[in-house]
Amino acid sequence: MIEMFQYDFMRVALVMAVLIGLTAPAVGTFIVQRKLSLLGDGIGHIALTGIGLGLLTGSSPVLGALVVSVLGAVAIEVLRSRSRSGADVVLALLFYGGLAGGVILTGAEGGGTSLQSYLFGSISSVSATDLYVVAGLAVVVLGIVTLFGRELFLLCQDEEVARAAGLPTRFLSILIAATAAITVVIAMRAIGLLLVSALMVVPVAAAQQLTRGFRSTMLLAMGIGVLSAVSGLAGSFQYDLPPGPSIVLLALAVFVAAAVGGTVVRRRRAAPAAARSGVEAEAEVLGG
Amino acid sequence: MTTAAAGTAPFEMTGGRVRRDGREVLDGIDLRVGPGDLLAVMGPNGAGKSTLVKALLGLVPLSAGRTEIYGSAPARFRDWKRVGYVPQRLPMGGGVPSTVREVVSSGRVARQSRWRPTSAADRAAVDRALEAVGLAGRARDSAHLLSGGQQQRVLIARALAGEPDVFVLDEPTAGVDAASQAALAGTLRELAAAGRTVVLVAHELGPLEPLITRTLVLEHGRAVRADHTGRTARTTGQSA
Repeated sequence: MIEMFQYDFMRVALVMAVLIGLTAPAVGTFIVQRKLSLLGDGIGHIALTGIGLGLLTGSSPVLGALVVSVLGAVAIEVLRSRSRSGADVVLALLFYGGLAGGVILTGAEGGGTSLQSYLFGSISSVSATDLYVVAGLAVVVLGIVTLFGRELFLLCQDEEVARAAGLPTRFLSILIAATAAITVVIAMRAIGLLLVSALMVVPVAAAQQLTRGFRSTMLLAMGIGVLSAVSGLAGSFQYDLPPGPSIVLLALAVFVAAAVGGTVVRRRRAAPAAARSGVEAEAEVLGG
Repeated sequence: MTTAAAGTAPFEMTGGRVRRDGREVLDGIDLRVGPGDLLAVMGPNGAGKSTLVKALLGLVPLSAGRTEIYGSAPARFRDWKRVGYVPQRLPMGGGVPSTVREVVSSGRVARQSRWRPTSAADRAAVDRALEAVGLAGRARDSAHLLSGGQQQRVLIARALAGEPDVFVLDEPTAGVDAASQAALAGTLRELAAAGRTVVLVAHELGPLEPLITRTLVLEHGRAVRADHTGRTARTTGQSA
């Protein structure tokens, strides 16, 4: 285990894993609350076209992915708010277009292996420069979550109430989508575009089995995110497995454990509640 | 139409119409809600009650006519901390859990600056709001695990926490147990005593009846009856 710290790329990758573990669930908590769990998935598909464009034009694939996925996220949000019935199909078109475009563009560049590494993650290819970019983006994401957290919370609870409180709901909706896009770019090197979304959603789903509040869910999800990202990466180094799937399977294992644990905890809480007054016991039944 | 004293009427709608799917959901509503009014909007299902209060708040655009909040069109209105909106209760849950306190605290958002952390005044207002609806003891519980009536009280507390001048409540009594009805009546009594303005949508008033100063009855988007005992109030319906 210790030997992995002897490799530069592994030290870089581990720091990156911590940053991914913190940012993806933080944004994911809002995304899950808005019932947009598959948003990150869609952005991941679109980002692939950005990578292709980046490779083809000789500029940075990360920059290409960042620009295209943020634009894609904004487009998704605008389409979502404009049309109710057509949005579903338009989104599907964007996703498939993004994926197909990315495969063609990276293929044109002759980058078959690099395509694989962007789809499922690759740790040996990350450089110190990548780490600086990811660290910068992580600061942006965590800054947005901290600064706009209260407003985003109300937006995700009830958009009409947020409007009646004078919040700029359109701006905030686009902000959360754009932040999700930045997170996709942060996580894509280590986890891969096809599995990025899992680290936004699975830790949150695991945390909410055990928590009662929004903030506690977010913090616990970030903890689970860091734990799965770091240990998944270490495991993938140790056993020569692809990092993305290792990280995601670990997060899913935490989810299963949390779901079982949460059920036990709720049963225990419910047992004394049955002995309480009729009104309160009824409340538990109605809620549960 | 505009009174000399700037922005006195919390809500003023003239010839308000809302079309949806080729049908007039609101059909020429004239309504002035004066400061201190406790207006009950009543009528059968589908009469346009919720649409009316959403149109007053600018959440539903008018297809004709105009409406103002404290003398400004909703799109230009900026002083949203004066308005507290309690929406029709939707089933909570599905998403991420939130504690009762977290939901109620979010009612302070119009009074908070992005750059300042939660202040002692914010916390005190949230405490008062929780006390007012009798949920201080449930502050740390998950809101979605409460009963329907208690969830309704959480939404009312969220609006109270913002300390607005005017409250808009959409069906606060629907499917609510007796304890929550009583809590709501108590809250309204205190708001009336403090001179706050209240617009509430209700099927039946029950224990709220003695507090109400005006009623507006809608049917098929038209005002069919308007009773008032208020001082400044004047309401007419097109069909009357």
